[in-house]
Amino acid sequence: MPAMERILHNYPYLVAMILFALGIYTILSQENLMKKIIGTNIMSTAIFLLFISAGNIEGGVPPIVPYDGVLPAGTTFFVNPLPASLILTGIVVSFSLSAFALSIVIKLHRYYGTIEADEILKLRSGP
Amino acid sequence: MVAWLATHPPALVVFMLMSAAIMPALAHFWPVLCAPVACIALVLVLAGSLHLAAVTLRGEVLSYAVDGWPPPWGIEVVVDPLAALMLVVISGVCLCILVYSISSLGKEIPPGSIGWYYTAFLLLVTAMMGVAITNDLFNIYVFVEVGTIAACALVIAKNSKEATEAAFRYLLLATVGSGFLLFGICLLYLVTGHLNIAFVAQELAGVHQQYPNLIWMALSFFLVGLSIKSALFPLHVWLPDAHSAAPSTSSAVLSGLVIKIYAVVLIKLFYQIFGQRLLDETYMRHILLLMATAAIIAGSLFAFVQLDLKRRLAYSSVVGMGYIFLGIGLGSPLGLAAGIVHIFNHAIMKACLFLCAGAIYRQTRERYVNHLQGLGFEMPITMGAFTIAALSMVGMPLSSGFISKWYLSLGSIEAGQPLFVGLIILSGILNASYFLPLIWQAFFVVDRQQPRTFTLDALPFPMLAGQVALALAVLYFGVWPGFPLALAQKAAYIFLP
Repeated sequence: MPAMERILHNYPYLVAMILFALGIYTILSQENLMKKIIGTNIMSTAIFLLFISAGNIEGGVPPIVPYDGVLPAGTTFFVNPLPASLILTGIVVSFSLSAFALSIVIKLHRYYGTIEADEILKLRSGP
Repeated sequence: MVAWLATHPPALVVFMLMSAAIMPALAHFWPVLCAPVACIALVLVLAGSLHLAAVTLRGEVLSYAVDGWPPPWGIEVVVDPLAALMLVVISGVCLCILVYSISSLGKEIPPGSIGWYYTAFLLLVTAMMGVAITNDLFNIYVFVEVGTIAACALVIAKNSKEATEAAFRYLLLATVGSGFLLFGICLLYLVTGHLNIAFVAQELAGVHQQYPNLIWMALSFFLVGLSIKSALFPLHVWLPDAHSAAPSTSSAVLSGLVIKIYAVVLIKLFYQIFGQRLLDETYMRHILLLMATAAIIAGSLFAFVQLDLKRRLAYSSVVGMGYIFLGIGLGSPLGLAAGIVHIFNHAIMKACLFLCAGAIYRQTRERYVNHLQGLGFEMPITMGAFTIAALSMVGMPLSSGFISKWYLSLGSIEAGQPLFVGLIILSGILNASYFLPLIWQAFFVVDRQQPRTFTLDALPFPMLAGQVALALAVLYFGVWPGFPLALAQKAAYIFLP
């Protein structure tokens, strides 16, 4: 069955899509601000997975030339190194966004004593 | 020096980044110097940007390969007319805002964080300029994220409950938006194997028929991500809170420039990579036009019912983004040029309006729109600048808003969709309905019991200078619109040959 085979062959892409959707669902559905931040992390991880699997070549080796300059026997492909280095940047960006978001959550907790979005809304619109 | 800048345009961004980096040290040792040094840095950058704009006006497109790596491998920086126009408007408007901030900031944010405020402000300028001139998809993503963090920092600097909550919502939705943007970039990288915009476009032209679904997906991801970030109508929910809770200088830069830089990214991605034919085949232009129409009408209605001055201005930014996306979606050279001109003009008038709102709040502690009676007698300079900018939002002739509306109408006729001329006229009436009452109250409603005496504004000079400079710019570009129009038309003919 070609469809099944294609799915099995490209499963990282499928997993990335599912994770991405899960991340957005978490952001939109959860009231807890911590869980929302976890949702953004799931979402960005999904994109990193997509990028990394785009650079992978089956049977490829890391693009590092050994010290003696002789490649191991049977080496035909190098894995594309560019996505890995891009994702390194992406991880740093995602890390700093999470750190900033978490620090805002601490402030919100100091102001309202809760990190549930609906309770904060109630406290704000309350008496 | 000047010739060197034309061959090394990223020097402007690097210079801005370095000035941002020295701000915390300055704040630690000589806190008084922060604002003047930031202003001097922006004056230099404005001079450099004007030089680059003059060079691109002659028809040259400057290109620079970072670290000597030629385009397909390294990061390429391209200063085309659109980038040059954005550089000028970013540095010019930010300079006025910074001058205003010299004396306004001390009363709006805790004194301990003023140095960090300037750091975030200059980082935001760096990020916006970087987005404008880079020609590399991943580089766009990185600058967008730097800009997101800096923009949220500018909102949260006020240290109030509302600002903190608004900043959290902004940060969360902006993260989602950049997630979508990166996903779209990844999809393009999957099919083309390039990140340089020119090379992606070249490669995509050959292979797009093999991957119709992927083109659809990439376009939708870009559209959703950039609409969240630029607050296009159904996805604008974060904007009113973030822009009204922030300090007035932050509101001015966020509403004036930050949301527009994402429209610039959208123009770059849609017209440089996909091209008009693909946009037509995937109905993306029609979706853009629909969203823009909804933004113009719904944004005006929302603005009309707001009673808080800054919230009303924030919703009027939603309308402004509607005009810009209308110009982008029309798909005719004149329409696109009008969209780009509106980016330029709206940045100036919206920054002016927010600065005036900040001045009004500082002097009267009044945010309620129906309590501005007779303010034109107490603060004639502020209200004069406000009036000029508000009339320009409505589209009065001899103001820059009229120029963008005029060319938008011409563009919609050129695109064969004269219905949008009616939309522009209707929205002009709606704009008038929520701006004119403010002006009327301020100048013509006189309280019989307490006769008003005419006094000049009791505001520090830098605040007045910032507002008046922006208001004069609104008038200048309304009477002599040659500079933005020439650059925008050159840009539009590059994107839509």
